[in-house]
Amino acid sequence: MSKTEKHKRLTPSSDFAEEVASIHGGEDIAKCIQCGICTASCVVARATEKYRPRKIIQKIILGDRVEVLTSEMSWFCMTCRMCEDRCQEGVSPAEIFHAVRVLAASEGHIPNVFRKSADTVLEDGWMLKDAYSDFIQDERDDLGLDPEVTFNEKFAHRIKEKYFSKKEGPR
Amino acid sequence: MDLIIYRGCTIPVRLPGYEAATIAVLEKLGVNVTVMNDANCCGAQYIESLNRMAYAVMCGRLLAIAEREERDIVALCGACSGSLKTNQHFLDNDIQARDEVNSILADEGLKYTGKVRVRHLLQVLMEDIGIEAIERAIVAPYKGTKLASHYGCHVTRPYEIVQVDDPENPTILDRIVEAAGGTAVDYPGKTRCCGGPMLAMDEEVAGVIGLDKIEKIGEAGADGIVTACVFCDIQLTQVQFGDKAGNPRKIPVLPIPQFLGLALGIEDSALGFELNKIDPETVVSGCSGGLK
Repeated sequence: MSKTEKHKRLTPSSDFAEEVASIHGGEDIAKCIQCGICTASCVVARATEKYRPRKIIQKIILGDRVEVLTSEMSWFCMTCRMCEDRCQEGVSPAEIFHAVRVLAASEGHIPNVFRKSADTVLEDGWMLKDAYSDFIQDERDDLGLDPEVTFNEKFAHRIKEKYFSKKEGPR
Repeated sequence: MDLIIYRGCTIPVRLPGYEAATIAVLEKLGVNVTVMNDANCCGAQYIESLNRMAYAVMCGRLLAIAEREERDIVALCGACSGSLKTNQHFLDNDIQARDEVNSILADEGLKYTGKVRVRHLLQVLMEDIGIEAIERAIVAPYKGTKLASHYGCHVTRPYEIVQVDDPENPTILDRIVEAAGGTAVDYPGKTRCCGGPMLAMDEEVAGVIGLDKIEKIGEAGADGIVTACVFCDIQLTQVQFGDKAGNPRKIPVLPIPQFLGLALGIEDSALGFELNKIDPETVVSGCSGGLK
């Protein structure tokens, strides 16, 4: 048995862990040794008990597919990447949770706030069309900036049609 | 040096002073800048979380516009610069993805070939212009005013892709503060997130994270905070107005070009000080030029 095979055999895994590993960003999940430096480094975990990155990775490794994909846990990662910087095993929880979100989204599990914000961008081409008022134009004018702020809606609609109109697998 | 500014969605509406100050400072330091119009959202966080290719096409279009204009991009927001760099890295290493992006961009006659460089404003100031040139251009130095730097996670991480300073111990903002005559103040948790990205999912948690930062900066005795990202700037400002903030002294938050601009002798009206939500007096009073 080669060293790699032996390593593989001794690493707990599940179909779900392999599925996550097959998605861009999830590749390194089997390297996790559950040391918990991610949770110890995490500012979100410092602020609330409801988010524990090590535990989410453990749930993936153990194959809790439904719980991980249907709960909001992976959406609490701010992608600040402090954990990734600190991990001694070369694992990026931020990337793994990104892969999980993409997978969850492809099955329709998207928190409302993400769905709404994405809809806004895909409709208007940008986030702040509704907040862009005459008042803002005046402020811009006073600063010597071009008061007109233009974003391309047509391109956004093209993206919506291509990537969000039909059910596609995780990309 | 010719650069095209990608402002993103938030700066032109929520923090136009950052846009104005950036243009004024870069022009003062000899950079020719234009603003990218007819752009689109970079896709950070929301599209990013839902579909990788949609995210890549959105950034691919911005890269292709800069290529058409034959200018390198300067991004002012951590999320935008991070998105552009991440997707550039993706498209430079995945030819199939690049072909798909270009097949969509062809509708508009655009093409991404990999020629454009993406720079965060801090890189332009520090690497392209250089600290010596900035020091030489200072005409109204600060008199030791104490500034706490907040870096912005997506500006410095992941290092392998963004290539800015040192992700664990960044000093790039502090060096600009000192070049302008300020005193860089250290504080615990300097590289920690401001909590801004949490506003979508849980405002209360975002507030706890932001206020922790403000508390540490206050304890370090800073007169002000300098930022390099619009979301950090807004989050660190608004968190000081929340119910949980209590009533300590409010610490002014300034985008770095606004702070630097005053020391370069730029009129304060061109730097947008009148739009600051927290009175910048403790900072500007330390500048030998001051407000006009």
